[in-house]
Amino acid sequence: MWVYEKKLQYPVRITNTNPQLAKIIMTQYGGPDGELGASVRYLSQRYTMPYAELKGVLTDIGTEELAHLEMVGTIVYQLTRNMTEEDIKKGGYMDYFVDHTAGVYPAAASGTPFSAAALAVKGDTITDLTEDMAAEQKARTTYDNILRFADDPDVRDPIKFLRAREVVHFQRFGEGLRLATDRLDPKNFYAFNPSFDKKPPKM
Amino acid sequence: MNERDSMMRRIKSIDFAMWELHIFLDTHPNDTEALALHEKYSKRRDALVAEYEQRFGMLGMKNITGENRWQWVNDPWPWDITQEVENNVGL
Repeated sequence: MWVYEKKLQYPVRITNTNPQLAKIIMTQYGGPDGELGASVRYLSQRYTMPYAELKGVLTDIGTEELAHLEMVGTIVYQLTRNMTEEDIKKGGYMDYFVDHTAGVYPAAASGTPFSAAALAVKGDTITDLTEDMAAEQKARTTYDNILRFADDPDVRDPIKFLRAREVVHFQRFGEGLRLATDRLDPKNFYAFNPSFDKKPPKM
Repeated sequence: MNERDSMMRRIKSIDFAMWELHIFLDTHPNDTEALALHEKYSKRRDALVAEYEQRFGMLGMKNITGENRWQWVNDPWPWDITQEVENNVGL
């Protein structure tokens, strides 16, 4: 189960309206490497993870991603809450606006709605943890790309925080992968999938 | 920054430090230094949250202040900008 706390993980306070920026940041809400996909990926992979530390890491990071989803939603909301029809036209926000008005909807920067096809649950410990490390780097790259276009310091500050979290999570998953391989056959990590095979093959 | 925001900032800082230790401990469960630090921050947090809830209303599950109203549904919500919400009271 989960319990909600009535606060953001890191403060977001944006006063300047900017729908153009909202449109690209939205991709971390519902895009292919966004926070929603990250959360669902980790929380789904954890069921078949064989070791307690890995169940912990996936549960906790999957939970933190929900807090990041809330931060990204807040950024998008604050960037668009006071926009005028003129702002919408100038910011190229009409396509989004006709479908969702000023609502916050999980879509990619291109407008494609959120798709679970962008995440993977393979049911193999090494495969899934490697996927998770890549996912953190993809999210880090996306935040780096957002920072190329975001010039408002009120926006850059929480985006930089989110970017730094991707780096920390990458580290934690790397440690998780090491904990897993330490328990496998060092001559062939892939001979046995601890998520499925009940006992190692005879040598 | 008003007093409510500045207290919230202190709670957020301590929560963040605790969370960072929490996920570090997931992959280093026998690190006694990190365990002790987590315990220390946890005590400090309890005191801060109690004070905040007493003055500004619910953060979690327990209705602390006022017996005549369910404080949870009071503004601000996390995505609101506090000052603006305060200016809108009564709308």
